[in-house]
Amino acid sequence: MPLEIFVCVKQTPHPEHFSKISLDPATGSIQRAGIPSVMNPLDKNAVEEALRIREKFSGKVTAISMGPPQAKEVLEEAYAMGVDEGVLLCDSTFAGADTLATAYTLAQAIQKLGRFDLILCGNESIDGATGQVGPQLAEFLGIPHITYVTRLEFQGEREALATREIEYGYLKVKFRLPAAVTVLKSINQYRLPTVMDIMQAAGKEVKTWNCEETGGEKTCLGLEGSPTRVAGLVALQTKRKREILKGSEEEIARMAVKRLHEYGVI
Amino acid sequence: MDFSFSRAHEMVRNMVREYAEKEVGPKVESYSQEGDEFPYETLKRCAELGLIGLIIPKKYGGNEMGYLARMIAIEEISKVYASLGANLRGWGLVPYMITVAGTEEQKQKYLPAFCKGEIQGSIATTEATSGSDFGSFPVSYKKDGDDYIINCRKVMISRATVSDVFGMMVRGEKGYTCFLIEKRMPGVQTGHREKLISTLSRNSPLGDVALTNCRVPKSQVVGEEGKGLGPALSTIGFVGRTGGAGICLGVAESSFDIAVKYSKERIVYGKPLHDLQSLKFMLADMAVRVECSKLLCYQVSWLQDQGKKPVELNRETSMSKLFASESAVNNTLKAIEILGGYGTAPEFGLIQRMKTALDMIAAAGSNNVLRRNVGDAAVA
Amino acid sequence: MQSKGEVWVWAEQRAGRLMPVSLELLGKAKELAGSLGTRLVGTLVGDQMDSLAQELIDYGMEKVYLIESQRLKLYQSEAYARLLAELVRQHQPEIFLLGATAIGMDLAPRVAAKLNTGLTAHCADLYLEEIAGKKKLIAAVPGWGGSILVKIVCPVANPQMATVRSGVFERPPKSSGNKGEIVKVSTQLRDEDFRAETVEIVETKPTGILLEEAEIVVGGGWGFQSVGGFKLAEELAEVLGGTTAGTRPAVDAGWVREDRMIGSSGKTVAPKLFVSAGASGAMHFTTGFLKSKVIVAIEQNAKAPIFDVADLGIVGDLGKILPLLIEELKKFGPGQSA
Repeated sequence: MPLEIFVCVKQTPHPEHFSKISLDPATGSIQRAGIPSVMNPLDKNAVEEALRIREKFSGKVTAISMGPPQAKEVLEEAYAMGVDEGVLLCDSTFAGADTLATAYTLAQAIQKLGRFDLILCGNESIDGATGQVGPQLAEFLGIPHITYVTRLEFQGEREALATREIEYGYLKVKFRLPAAVTVLKSINQYRLPTVMDIMQAAGKEVKTWNCEETGGEKTCLGLEGSPTRVAGLVALQTKRKREILKGSEEEIARMAVKRLHEYGVI
Repeated sequence: MDFSFSRAHEMVRNMVREYAEKEVGPKVESYSQEGDEFPYETLKRCAELGLIGLIIPKKYGGNEMGYLARMIAIEEISKVYASLGANLRGWGLVPYMITVAGTEEQKQKYLPAFCKGEIQGSIATTEATSGSDFGSFPVSYKKDGDDYIINCRKVMISRATVSDVFGMMVRGEKGYTCFLIEKRMPGVQTGHREKLISTLSRNSPLGDVALTNCRVPKSQVVGEEGKGLGPALSTIGFVGRTGGAGICLGVAESSFDIAVKYSKERIVYGKPLHDLQSLKFMLADMAVRVECSKLLCYQVSWLQDQGKKPVELNRETSMSKLFASESAVNNTLKAIEILGGYGTAPEFGLIQRMKTALDMIAAAGSNNVLRRNVGDAAVA
Repeated sequence: MQSKGEVWVWAEQRAGRLMPVSLELLGKAKELAGSLGTRLVGTLVGDQMDSLAQELIDYGMEKVYLIESQRLKLYQSEAYARLLAELVRQHQPEIFLLGATAIGMDLAPRVAAKLNTGLTAHCADLYLEEIAGKKKLIAAVPGWGGSILVKIVCPVANPQMATVRSGVFERPPKSSGNKGEIVKVSTQLRDEDFRAETVEIVETKPTGILLEEAEIVVGGGWGFQSVGGFKLAEELAEVLGGTTAGTRPAVDAGWVREDRMIGSSGKTVAPKLFVSAGASGAMHFTTGFLKSKVIVAIEQNAKAPIFDVADLGIVGDLGKILPLLIEELKKFGPGQSA
């Protein structure tokens, strides 16, 4: 039976431009006008893994994203890489969602789209970087999850062994489909789309669902469905001494050692 | 006027940029070593990504994405490694000649193989007497039945020692004829690498192609006998020239980027270098040069995509290469100045870019010939 | 969900040892419990953990729940998540903290989803603030590559959950005189708990002083380019008896390994001495060591922001200052090992 594979993809600001982003202290919303966007890099590894599994076992790969209308761009990128279908969940009701509400929304859509065998996600997004959506999505779908995955070895179509990284080592996890897997960069080298791939992907139809079409309880969506809230910005507490040593270089070196001794660190 | 790129063009730019930065960038140093092997993997990879077929008809294995896509691809690659940009430009010349003037048999025989990167071609017009003054060429072929016997020597030919097919324009009694000369034909000899100062030549090695009593069948004539000037000039002026503009744009742009980055990180008198107004003005001038080069390059490409013919765009193609080339020279020089003591340090890559810019003054249409073209158009 | 109000910590054990971050959490958790006037309670999942439970009590835990089974010796995501969620539902703590290890980051979100509650990841700080008459947990989180610190709160749902990285908080003092309750939870395992089953663990030994455990760290940045590399940083670290780390540019230049990168995308450390050298002090770097006891900055740009976060600042050329400093330190005496 062909596999139904879903990949969750997210559009994030380009990491080289992070320092230009600011938070509006009044509204708590992110100011990112004029900053170029990219598909979250780890999501590309997730798409690549999905495509490789499809090549091995035959099946369908659907890329799904929750975001503003501009997020259509990452679905086009996913098309260019070779996914079969792209779905954008776009509605103002979804705005302000934390990871729980995001996972809930994605789960509603995936369930509505039909059977699912494997859900793939990047381990975390380069903005936010909580790494929470994957496991929470798995909970809502009622399937097992494995994170920090650097290798997937399939033993038959529905059984696999995952290698998942831990600090200074790894675990081997045996599992059966359906399951959710979040991947790290080292799992594969994702493909670059060719010109031909791009020509058929640019402007390709993306299934766009609003709140009604996605389904689910309104109270579980967006800001309303988010148990966590942004409560403002924190001023950094620095009660440092800020003593700048003066004198010749030799004098400075001597003073520095004296101070370090006075501080009790040497 | 809509100056925005289509989504497809943006995506192609992003793809080529990623290819250049991730796959080519790390190898630039090893590619640039003296006496290096031709990097065939770049030909294969560019073909795989569809970069060779950008202006080749779909019917023959190309993707027809167009001239603007080609300009973007050459620009992005040249920002990282101009020598590969030069090769990408070069790989498109013979296919173009065949596309506009070749027979159906020639198209079927050669174009799909070019698109797949199975073979590569080089345009060969320059002789010892001149690159631009074709009138100075001696008569070098005569007819023998249905065949042609050719005796000539072409010099300064890109990738002479590695190309499989040469699009060669040769002077005859009744005018010029373009031939497709395959390297393996008896009487064809390639060799004598010129050692030019630029890294442009290291992976795009220049050499001679000499034909000695080379018997060439009628099937290899591109277009009509005696009517070769047209195809040759279109190839050089329409596609070769704009390709050269793309290389220069990439060099001007990347030199500017290097100077900007340095000026942010380098601290002098307790502040970033660009805090000095004189320096910021230099950067401003560089920025304007890059922007103008872009506009000329993208405009001519857009016009080409609109279906304008070579003869209609002589002025625009000339302007694009002329301006981009001088921008490359100026920007690399200024960047070296801005980097102070580090200006000529190899790890910043400016010396390589400077050398490329100097090479590009004469290559792909000598700047002064292009000036003449623009001047002629101005007073016409 | 009504809360009975305790402050809970999930203590992670691996191969019979408690993870350092779990111990670090106890100090902060105890402080939060004190402010709320409630108890500090721990949960341990694994096999045969009596001594670990006692160790937690030595570090200040007042009560420890043990969920034990031979099958739970290795981390089993669904089993751990279900059992913890059930325990939480039963006892309804106010706050539930977990260490942000590769496993904690896998477990916490699943538990939070089961409890339909809020979870904040990678907190740089935790404290209480009164919101609508109640003391609520505020989690401070670096955002956008560390250029902003954001306050996150979970105003309604319970428990308020957060994960915290190693090095953010300080391990509390240990006292074998502490008293605490150990409760063994009766554990019924089901097949569905093992749909994804961990069958093997492979651990590699790290070389050199572990960054997270070093008492003295020398963090170098791009400025070392002017002295041809990291040699001076390594010498300084050696004479101080510490270890080296670096900024992203230092990692990219190959002077330090990726797992020694300090900052919002890397590690957070809080040693007794942190020396920043050749780095201007961008927020996404400094956020990685702000909690160090003493911070020294060595940098040629007098206006660099690094000096704002340092106790001791030296403006100068690395090539001149570092050799002199190393010389003086050698004269002073041998370095203390971490």
